[in-house]
Amino acid sequence: MSSFVIEAAGLTKSFGSAHALAGVDLQVRTGESLAIMGASGSGKTTLLHCLAGITRPDSGTVGFRSGIGLVPVTELGERERSRLRREAFGFVFQQGLLIPELTAVENVALALMLNGMPRATAEQHARGWLAALGLAGLEERRIGQLSGGQAQRVAIARAQVTGATVVFADEPTGALDSQTSADVMGALLHSTTGQGRTLVVVTHDPDVAARCSRVVVMRDGRIVGERQGARSVHPAAAARVEAQAAAAAAGSAGAAGTPEGPRA
Amino acid sequence: MIARVAWLLARPGSAGAAASVLPVVAFGVVTALLLTVAGGAQTFFTWTDDTSMLYQSLAVIALVLLVVPLVSLGGAAARLSARRRDDRLATLRLLGATPGVVRALAVIEAAAFALAGAVLGVLAYLVAVPLIGLIPFRGEPLGAAGVLLPWWVLVAAPIAVAALAAMSAVLGLRQVVISPLGVRTRQEAPRLHWIRVVAGVGVVAFAYALMSVIGVAQVALVLITMLAVAFGGTLAVLNLIGPWVIRLIASAQVRRAKTPARLLAARSVLESPKAAWRQVGGVAMTSFMAVFAGVGVGLLGAAAADGGNGDPESAMLLADVRTGILITVVGSFLMVACSVGVGQAAAILDRADLYRSLDMLGMPVATMEAARRRAVMSPLRVTAVGSAVIAAIVMLPLTGITLIVAPLSLAVIAGVLAAGIGIVWLGLVVTRPVLDRAAAG
Ligand SMILES: Nc1ncnc2c1ncn2[C@@H]1O[C@H](COP(=O)(O)OP(=O)(O)OP(=O)(O)O)[C@@H](O)[C@H]1O
Ligand SMILES: [Mg+2]
Repeated sequence: MSSFVIEAAGLTKSFGSAHALAGVDLQVRTGESLAIMGASGSGKTTLLHCLAGITRPDSGTVGFRSGIGLVPVTELGERERSRLRREAFGFVFQQGLLIPELTAVENVALALMLNGMPRATAEQHARGWLAALGLAGLEERRIGQLSGGQAQRVAIARAQVTGATVVFADEPTGALDSQTSADVMGALLHSTTGQGRTLVVVTHDPDVAARCSRVVVMRDGRIVGERQGARSVHPAAAARVEAQAAAAAAGSAGAAGTPEGPRA
Repeated sequence: MIARVAWLLARPGSAGAAASVLPVVAFGVVTALLLTVAGGAQTFFTWTDDTSMLYQSLAVIALVLLVVPLVSLGGAAARLSARRRDDRLATLRLLGATPGVVRALAVIEAAAFALAGAVLGVLAYLVAVPLIGLIPFRGEPLGAAGVLLPWWVLVAAPIAVAALAAMSAVLGLRQVVISPLGVRTRQEAPRLHWIRVVAGVGVVAFAYALMSVIGVAQVALVLITMLAVAFGGTLAVLNLIGPWVIRLIASAQVRRAKTPARLLAARSVLESPKAAWRQVGGVAMTSFMAVFAGVGVGLLGAAAADGGNGDPESAMLLADVRTGILITVVGSFLMVACSVGVGQAAAILDRADLYRSLDMLGMPVATMEAARRRAVMSPLRVTAVGSAVIAAIVMLPLTGITLIVAPLSLAVIAGVLAAGIGIVWLGLVVTRPVLDRAAAG
C-alpha cells in the first residue's frame, strides 16, 4: 500500500530574501490524512499552495497521480492549474471565505456550476452534502447568518461536492473554539478519508493533528520530523479513491461526489 | 510618531499602482471640470444687460448639477484611499495605535491624494484655458482672458478639494476604528419599501400635470421655473424608485441565473440595490437631463425656425443653451465614469481575500470579471433607459411634437446615452488590473 496521490521533490521557494521552502520532498499517500505542523513562518502555507498548484515553486516538481496517469502540476500553465484545482482538488480556508451574498446552498452549488453542471442539478447535489454535514434546514441562509462552525461545514461541503480527490485545508479550525473545532475536524475527516479521499491539513492544533494518520513537522522551510498518527489508512478506502480519481480526471461534470452515511 | 507611521504606510501596498493612480486621476478630473465650469460662469457674471440674468441662472443650474456627482466622486475616492490601507490600519489598531492615530493617518493619506489630484487638475485647467476660451456664447468665443479665474481661486481650489476628501475619510473610516479586526459581517439583505413606488408615481403624475399646464402658459420665465420644479421633482423620484426597481429586476435575475457569473452578479446587486444605484445613479440624472433638455431645445429650435420671425437674439440664446447642455452632459458622464472606476477599485480591494480564495478554488478570473461587469452594467442599462423613458413620459406632449418636428434631436439624445454607457464601461475596464492583482494575491 505505498501508492501516493501527490509527490513533491526538491521544492524551493523564496520571497525576496525569505526562503519559505528550502528543499522539501514529500509524498502524500492515497487515502491518508496528512497534518503539516510547524512554527509560524516555517513555510506550511507555502508548501500547501505548491502541492495544490496555487503557487509555482522556484525549483522542484509536484506530480499528481490521477486516473489517467501522473499530472506534472509544476509544468502546467495558469489555466490548466486553475482547472485542476477546480476539478480534482477541494479547499477549506481558515476563515471559510464563502461568498457572503450567496446562500449556503448556492455557495456549494457554485463549485459544481463552475465545472459546467446545470444549476438545478448542482443545487440538488449541494443540498445532499449540506444535509450530510448536519446543515439541513439552513440551506437558504446567507453566510452572515451562520455561526463560524456552520460556515466552516458549508466550506467543507463546497470542497467535497465536486468529488475532489484531495482536499487541502489551511488551519480549518483556526478560528473556532475547541469543541466546535473537534466537530468540524470530525466532519472534515469523515467526508474525506472516510470516503476514500485524501486530506492535507495545515494546523497549529495538536488535537487536530492527533486525529490525522500522519504528521510532518516543518522548520525554516524544511520538513524536520514525521510521525504516524493513531489513525491508519483504510485499505478499502484506498481502493475506492482510484475509481474516484479516474472519474475526476475524466473531467466530466458528472464526477460530483455523493455524500455517504451520517455525519461524523 | 504619526509622521513616521504615515511614511511606513505610504510604501506601495499589495493593491498595486492602479489603486493609487485612480483616486488621484479622479480628483484631478473633478477639479479641472469644476474650474472649467466656474471659469465659464464667471464670464456670464460680467454681463449686465437684460438677458444676463438668464445666463447667470442657467450657469448656476449647471454648477449645481455638476456639484452633486462631484461630491459623491470625492467621497468614493476618499473611501478608496482609506480602503487601500484598511488592512494595515487594522493591523496598527491591533498593535495598539489609538483610534486617533489611525484616523489621523487615514485622513492624511486621503487628503494627500486629493491634493495631488487637485493640483494636477489645476494644471490641466490652465492648459485647457485657451480651448475653453474658444467656446462660443452669444455668437463669439468667451476668450481666454475671460475664463481665466483669479489666482487665489486656483490656490484655494486644491485646498478645498483636499479638505472635502479629508472629511469623507473621517466618515468612511469609522468602521476600522470601531473594529480592530476590520471584520465586516453581513446580515439580511436590506429591503426597500413599496411606499417608494407610490411616492414616485405621485410625483411623476404631478410633474406631468405641471408640464401640461406649461403647454398652455407660454410665458418664458414661468416656463423655466416650472421646468426646474418638474425637473428637480422627477430627479428626486428617480432616486426614490431607482433602487426599488433595481432590486426587483435583480431578484428575478437570481432565480433565472444559469451560469456562475450571472448568479454572482445578480446576487451582488441584490445584496445592496442602493449601492448599485449609487454607482450608476449619476447616469440616470444625466440621461434624464439629456432627454429633458434635448427635447426642449429641439422643440424651441424648430419653432423658432418655423415661425421665421428670425429674432437673432432668441436664436443665439437657443444655441447657447444647447452648448451649455452639451458641456454639462459631457462633464457629468466623465464624472460618472471616474466614480465607477474608483468605486470598483474600492469594491475589489474590499473583497481581495475573497477573490484570492476564489482563484485558489479554480474559478477563472474571467468569470469573476464577467460577474463584476454584469453587476454594474445591468443596473446601468435599466437606469439609463428607464430614466430616459420617464423623462420622455413627463414631457409627453412636448416629446410627441419633437418626434415630428425635430426627430434629429432625439437621435442625438440616443447617441449621447449610448456614449455615456460606453464611458462607464471604460471605467470598469480600467480596473481589471486591480482584480488581476487581488486574485493573484
Ligand atoms: N506572498 C508572500 N510574500 C512575501 N513573503 C511571503 C509570502 N508568503 C509567505 N512569505 C514568507 O514566507 C515564509 C513562510 O510563510 P508561510 O505563509 O508559508 O508560513 P506558515 O508556516 O504558513 O506560517 P503561519 O503558521 O503563520 O501561517 C514567511 O517568512 C513569510 O513571511
Ligand atoms: Mg500559514
